[in-house]
Amino acid sequence: MSNYLTKRIINILLIIFLSIQVLIYFVNQKPLTKNFSQKTITVENFSSIVLSKSGITKIGSEKLNKVDDNNIFLKGKSYLENNDYKIYGKNILINLSKEISESNEPVEVINKMGLLKAQSFKNLDYDGKIIFEGNVEFVIYK
Amino acid sequence: MKETWNLSFINKLLYLVLYLFFFSKANAESYVKAGESLIWDSENKSYTANGSVEFKNDRFVAYADKMIANYIEEKNDEVFTIIELFNNVVIKFEEETFKGNYAIYTRDDNIIKLTGDVSIESPSRLLTGSELIADIDNNKRILNSSNNEPLVEVLLENNADN
Repeated sequence: MSNYLTKRIINILLIIFLSIQVLIYFVNQKPLTKNFSQKTITVENFSSIVLSKSGITKIGSEKLNKVDDNNIFLKGKSYLENNDYKIYGKNILINLSKEISESNEPVEVINKMGLLKAQSFKNLDYDGKIIFEGNVEFVIYK
Repeated sequence: MKETWNLSFINKLLYLVLYLFFFSKANAESYVKAGESLIWDSENKSYTANGSVEFKNDRFVAYADKMIANYIEEKNDEVFTIIELFNNVVIKFEEETFKGNYAIYTRDDNIIKLTGDVSIESPSRLLTGSELIADIDNNKRILNSSNNEPLVEVLLENNADN
């Protein structure tokens, strides 16, 4: 009787153990949907060109941090230059996929009309709009 | 003695030239100032300024809550062609002050048209109406009443002799 009971218990334990193994096997088969690898790339005294809707824009900064595949951060004194404008500012975040650049630091812009000074800017390049906020002064060339 | 006098004269002349240069530069300066924001729309060729807007060109100074200025490209330069001013509009031109709720200035004919509660104030008089057309080049002002009939046409004093 005792021998029978021991065999039964061992069988049940084996079934439970095998079931857990099967469960682990199937759970491990699930593909990983998130990419956890995140490399931080920093470049000093950086300059490069970006191709966007408004054409070729030259960008540069004291330091460039790659935030992720779509975003780069121009740290310190930075600039964006193309045929239409020259933007000189600090700490500019650029979203390459959305073609948006922005900064909450004071900025100076030179274009064909004059020299503009503002407290911050958001450049919606895909839309051809630049929004300057805070006290804005735009001195127009003669 | 003569050399000292000459140097003094040259110095004064230099100061005068510098003063005239900087004075003319300061007066000729055009600008747009905004207290809240300024949006540059390069596709529609316009600037929209918001909040305590101040605009100055070589003819007048204007103040308003909002301004939309359209521009064109001319010989690789950009120049304003039409300027619209919205709410609490005040335009100072020489000794006159125009006030209204809305104003539109066209550069081609140098005419400012104001609507809303319009007034025109000069050192000698104050006139009110609903619409004012100020022809800057021809020194002519037309003030209309609310029923759109011409009310007053003022020929300014400095042009009265002509």
